[in-house]
Amino acid sequence: MNIVYAIVLAALAYYAWWDILGPTFTLAFRPLVSGFFAGLIVGDVRTGLLIGGTLELMALGVYTYGGATIPEYSVGAILGTYFGKTQGFAVGLALAIPAALLLTQVDVIQRTLNFVFVHRADTYAEAGDQKGFDRMMAWFSHMIWGFSRAIPVFLAVAFGQPIVQAITSFFNTYPWIDKGITVAGGVLPALGFAMLLKIMPVQKYPAFLLIGFVLFAYLKMPLVGIAIAAVAITLVYMSIKYRTAEA
Amino acid sequence: MATAVGKIKLTRSDLMGAFWRYIWLFQCGWNYERMQSVGYCYTILPILKKLHPDPEEFKKRFLGNLDFFNTNPVVGAPVILGGHIALEEAGASLETTEGFKVGLMGPLAGVGDTLVWGIYNSIIMSIGASMALGGSVLGPILAIVLVFFPYLGVRYWQFFWAYRQGTSLVASLGGGIIGRVTEFATLVGLTVIGGFAVSIVKLAVAWQPAITTTVAGKAATTTIAIQTQLDAILPLMLPVLVTALAYWLLKRGWSPIAVLGVLFAIGFIGGAIGFFG
Repeated sequence: MNIVYAIVLAALAYYAWWDILGPTFTLAFRPLVSGFFAGLIVGDVRTGLLIGGTLELMALGVYTYGGATIPEYSVGAILGTYFGKTQGFAVGLALAIPAALLLTQVDVIQRTLNFVFVHRADTYAEAGDQKGFDRMMAWFSHMIWGFSRAIPVFLAVAFGQPIVQAITSFFNTYPWIDKGITVAGGVLPALGFAMLLKIMPVQKYPAFLLIGFVLFAYLKMPLVGIAIAAVAITLVYMSIKYRTAEA
Repeated sequence: MATAVGKIKLTRSDLMGAFWRYIWLFQCGWNYERMQSVGYCYTILPILKKLHPDPEEFKKRFLGNLDFFNTNPVVGAPVILGGHIALEEAGASLETTEGFKVGLMGPLAGVGDTLVWGIYNSIIMSIGASMALGGSVLGPILAIVLVFFPYLGVRYWQFFWAYRQGTSLVASLGGGIIGRVTEFATLVGLTVIGGFAVSIVKLAVAWQPAITTTVAGKAATTTIAIQTQLDAILPLMLPVLVTALAYWLLKRGWSPIAVLGVLFAIGFIGGAIGFFG
């Protein structure tokens, strides 16, 4: 019976992430929703509501802004509900939180591994192969995200509480792994921005880049404010530049 | 610009096809290197295919639309997609459509993240969670209903609104406007990236060396907060430096995977030994 729960709950974890990557129909990556679904599956909706609701209030307003990594509360809610049903709410919650934090590290790694898809995509583009690209997108593009959640859920449910505690104590014994991955997760978006800057005329217009930097770094301006200022500065620049042409 | 471009017209089913591709898979394959790029390209690809019958032009556009892209997927992305399709149909160059995407993605990411995640979700989720904690199944059900219908509606509306706006803008101003639009979008984009990049890239020195000196015969220990010193010279100096390093390596012809390795090594080793934090 454990193995059936392990498979169905792993499928739920997979669905939760495909949902936010794609259709965003149920927002199942939020612990309120994934806890509820897990409760329906294990036949204990009440525990699902309590675990999911508790985690949701902890995670309120916590989202992956700009691709930042956050605790994996949906997996926490699924495992918390499963273990909470048999061993009580307190045990479920006590397991849900470390599980959510542990999976944060897995998330940094899987977000990196997904680069295989962009490189495959480049190859398809060079060959003009739309069919191959479409096939990759439809069948494989969500797999690393999905399985990075589904496999831990499967293992935890199939092998039970000892495996979760063993992994947690491993990371507690070697905190440097955790710290290293967290810092690396903050540095990696630099590559994305560097790729973007490479295709833009940075050397021709360095002043605009500097203005944006100063507005954020010194004036702590929110991005919307920077965007409005950017429009204003560009309007001024362009009206001066094209004045003679329009006169 | 290819000669046939701008003559082919899109039908409603072409637009709906792109819209559903966006719905099913927009952020799939999300990664640190180019973020939403593959999902964006997947959405727009049948449109590119139809509008660019010349295989070489199609390949160029296919490859061009795999560049870095990231914005809010719910409020933001549909506007860019709809507007881009209109520009594409009007015969805009790849430089124009890229400038349009780059110019809008940063500002819309800021607006969309605040509206969707920060405000709307926080309201419905806190109501849902408190009902759930009271033991009511209506809590999560209410949250799901308030996600399903409004999210779908707002995405559909933005997509077609931006498409209509883009079409009428190009029609009323003529083809000459495209060059100006490109320049405008590029400059706005560069300004926004100047702030956006350092708001996302995170790196700071955690190490605080303790120095013991003898002052008037007594040992005195002072710790030096290196990050505070760096902030006094230039705030966000380290995010600027790692982004500049990545840019410089790419310019020198390094592959993105090699640069990824370098950045990961800096972050992981620095974090593991406690130098960065």
